[in-house]
Amino acid sequence: MTATLERPPVTPATRVPARGRLRRNDSAGPLTYVLLCVTAFVFLVPFYYMVVAASRPMAEMNRTPPPLTPGPDLWSNIAKAVESQDIGLALLNSTIVSGVVTASTVLLCTLAGFAFAKLRFRGRSALFAVALGTMMIPPSLGVVPLYALMANLGLAGELSSVILPSLVAAFGVFFMRQYLVQALPDELLDAARVDGATSLRTFVSIVLPIARPGMAVLAMLTFMTAWNDFFWPVITLNSTNPTVQVALNNLGSGYVPDTSVIMAGTLVGTLPVIVVFLLLGRQIVGGIIAGAVKG
Amino acid sequence: MPTVQRPVPGERTAPPGAGTPWRARLFRVEERSAPYAYVAPFFLLFAAFGLFPLVHTAWISLHSYRLGSEMEWLGLENYAWLLSNPAFYNALWKTFTIGVLSTVPQLALALGLAHLLHYRMRGRTFFRVSMIMPYATSVAAAALVFAQLFGRDAGAVNWLLGIVGVDAVDWRNGDWTAQLAISVIVIWRWTGYNALIYLAGMQSISQDLYEAAALDGASRWQQFRHVTLPGLRPTILFTVVVSTIGASQLFGEPLIFGGGKPDGGALGQYQTLGLFMYQQGWTYGSLGRAATVAWVTFLLIIVLVLVNTRIAKRRAT
Amino acid sequence: MTGRPTPRRTTTTALATAVAGTLLLAACGGGGSGNADDGTVELTVGLFGTFGYEEVGLFDRYEAENPGVTITYESTQGEDTYWPALQTRLASGSGVADVQGIEVARIADVVTNQADLWTDLRDTPAASAIGNYVEWKEPAATTADGAVLGLGTDIGPMGICYRTDLLGQAGLPTEPTALAARMQTWDDYVALGREYQAAAPAGSAWMDSAGGFYNAIVSTEQEIYYDASGALVHDSNPAVRAAFDTAAAAGQAGLTARLEQFVDPGWDAGFASGSFATIACPSWMIGYIKGKAGDAGAGLWNVTTLPGGAGGNWGGAYLGIPAASENVEEAAKLIAWLTAPEQQAEVFASVGNFPSTTAAIEMVGDATDPWFNDAPIGQIFSASSTNAPVQILGPQDGVIKSAMVQALLSVEANGVAPADAWTAALADVTNQVG
Repeated sequence: MTATLERPPVTPATRVPARGRLRRNDSAGPLTYVLLCVTAFVFLVPFYYMVVAASRPMAEMNRTPPPLTPGPDLWSNIAKAVESQDIGLALLNSTIVSGVVTASTVLLCTLAGFAFAKLRFRGRSALFAVALGTMMIPPSLGVVPLYALMANLGLAGELSSVILPSLVAAFGVFFMRQYLVQALPDELLDAARVDGATSLRTFVSIVLPIARPGMAVLAMLTFMTAWNDFFWPVITLNSTNPTVQVALNNLGSGYVPDTSVIMAGTLVGTLPVIVVFLLLGRQIVGGIIAGAVKG
Repeated sequence: MPTVQRPVPGERTAPPGAGTPWRARLFRVEERSAPYAYVAPFFLLFAAFGLFPLVHTAWISLHSYRLGSEMEWLGLENYAWLLSNPAFYNALWKTFTIGVLSTVPQLALALGLAHLLHYRMRGRTFFRVSMIMPYATSVAAAALVFAQLFGRDAGAVNWLLGIVGVDAVDWRNGDWTAQLAISVIVIWRWTGYNALIYLAGMQSISQDLYEAAALDGASRWQQFRHVTLPGLRPTILFTVVVSTIGASQLFGEPLIFGGGKPDGGALGQYQTLGLFMYQQGWTYGSLGRAATVAWVTFLLIIVLVLVNTRIAKRRAT
Repeated sequence: MTGRPTPRRTTTTALATAVAGTLLLAACGGGGSGNADDGTVELTVGLFGTFGYEEVGLFDRYEAENPGVTITYESTQGEDTYWPALQTRLASGSGVADVQGIEVARIADVVTNQADLWTDLRDTPAASAIGNYVEWKEPAATTADGAVLGLGTDIGPMGICYRTDLLGQAGLPTEPTALAARMQTWDDYVALGREYQAAAPAGSAWMDSAGGFYNAIVSTEQEIYYDASGALVHDSNPAVRAAFDTAAAAGQAGLTARLEQFVDPGWDAGFASGSFATIACPSWMIGYIKGKAGDAGAGLWNVTTLPGGAGGNWGGAYLGIPAASENVEEAAKLIAWLTAPEQQAEVFASVGNFPSTTAAIEMVGDATDPWFNDAPIGQIFSASSTNAPVQILGPQDGVIKSAMVQALLSVEANGVAPADAWTAALADVTNQVG
């Protein structure tokens, strides 16, 4: 390969005037802040209510009017949840499942999305239509045959039975295609070709950097979808080897499902995702900004 | 190896890096086969874990099949049963109304929200993370909370309505009120999700265009209409398709709003197709009928998406 | 043989397996935990909700008393997710536990349609336990050929739970015996309701829902939706229509709080807030009411018998052994021990599941509940279980009941005329069952 390929032939810096971006009248005005604060409030209220419910005895939430401030029982409710289900194992399992699914989905969908967006090959539109069509299959539809399949493979009850069907998603292929159609300039690809880059080389050194914001968003969405996936895991896994959602489904005790304990468990099951976003939020959000390279 | 019909951008010139003939040939082979290699993992995985269940479901839909019993050939009887069943048309209609009630505001709000979040501001990370919080919360928890909020006797919504002098509403048992409540849950859960997708799309719109527009004296609103919207076309198309599909498969929110029962209320006022299928298969154990519902839904979605895409395309141009 | 894959199905499954298998390459090694030949046995138990065994420590004790036996227990809280998952596994012939719980509403389906998927307990060490039960419990788990597919755990005898404070405010009797004396029939119960409604505090109804009321009435009947020959009689059985009309009339008269049971969060809240004063309650609802009303509700509630001291049943469960189990002998010994009278009495004392064996019922006969004003719940529920008819159950009971309850909700909440609701319910049933 020629030395020119060490870097993308056309660097973003030459296309986007670095300071030019700031010249747009793009700082938020007071109205923007007000609107966003209202939205954030609406988005967070149900979550706050969950904290309230998780921190009080179940019966108190049935008072009229219901309490609006957190109570003292958060830790004991969490303790009850952790005691009744193996939440630690569930968190570990969910991390494995969501991690593998996310890594695989993002990589495979970017590859396929790139091919559908920018490469010409025979049967492209037909194949893309088929890929889109797969999205329209109701997810709860194939569980019976799917379970038979997993049982035949000896995977029923194993984490791999949850991971395998989710390794790639039509949603992600479609998403990355739409993103790259818009974000990836044809001239960059042409230039790479002129330089004699193979398509794999082009993919690694040109497509991936430009696709990063899209990949970051896809990663977030995929991670959460996998984390919250419920219907199929409940069928294939059991409480001895659960994901978070399977464990939460088994929370509560007695003929009385204790809503407070369920809420506390849900909180514990949701917090890791939120912590990940708070920690990575800056990076992910930063990535979206930094990756905006199209000139 | 299929031949490339139309030239790849830039194919007019021979790649300079491929000096020798065998290199050139290799280059061309790589170039032609690469696209197939890129899309292959998707199709292979789909063939293994998606296609078989799908085809098998079509087969099941031609039978009377209860789990634990033998399949009995029925031909198209299940389809006749479905098409003459008023409950199916009710579910179809409810799926449509709840779909419109939830999808249209959701996408409009998401677009506006993404536009606001696109500005430079303090606390950006906080706003962006709070936006995605609803999606990070499991449907079960969200529906539990909303069921409380929309409670007839002690719900916060009725309490607020009471302040402005409106009588308590029986959200759950009313027809439109129940659909509205479910739409609110859906909107709450998915608006941030779509906003994030729009935001990613907005980041890839050239700043030069904004500058040019600004130089021409375009206001923020005009910039939004004439730069952002056209630039987002592929993304908007994407969200319309995905939301249409999502709406037609709506399941978790109404199921949990109905306390885990798929009846969709006394009059089936919020029984979506997803619930109807679930009820056939898992409450009544008629997998043959559930498979029939699934296949008919599948075909309907395809038609709907085609129509929708056409409309969205026409709108955008 | 039902339940086994047909040849065609096997071929397609095999084909898909092959595709998937090539993808997996050698990624997956063979797992599987068979039982060693050294006399040790690993038993798996899959249950839903709370049977109380884990809570009382019965599994640990069984392991201690039977060296070599280890028990793996897995539970699903909701029966509505438990059963579909179990059915999927049963159909595929793998992934089932050695012991599985069966809710009473499913037992008719098991007996009628899945006899070959479950072990006939007459051929196992559990055979001797079959005769220990209240007279109607085991017949429900017995096939036409006489095979017994499950051992009973608990039952759901019924009473009327009521708010003493609210009844007092409305000038009605608050003592269980005095109240029972005024309620000889369901019509008396409704008449008392009208009296209550006239003097009740604002926002309080006599009972929770028309559907719950209907369910209570039919739960005292022997023949409900099926006759002894197994034919559907839901549309011709006068008892069903009468129960429907009585409940619908109560709903129309405003005696119900219009709160759908187990669905509307307002129903849960109602146990604390007093939006309804009475509810027909099976034994297992005692714990539910306590949990929902909390400590603040202690002393507000009491329990009396169903009108006229009628017997009835709502709920309960069985333990069965899937035919696919490789440890039938040991599993049978375990379920016989778990459902023996001593253990049933212990579970009742700890989590409140009412026993189904006659010996255990005698043991708990003098139980009282301080939270319910020391109501003699042992005596009330024992009497109800003894007086309960031998109900004829059928595979579609759940479908029909759900249609009726839904129709009644439309009467009380949406103002549908009872006759129209009845017609709609029958049409629903026909569409599903007919």
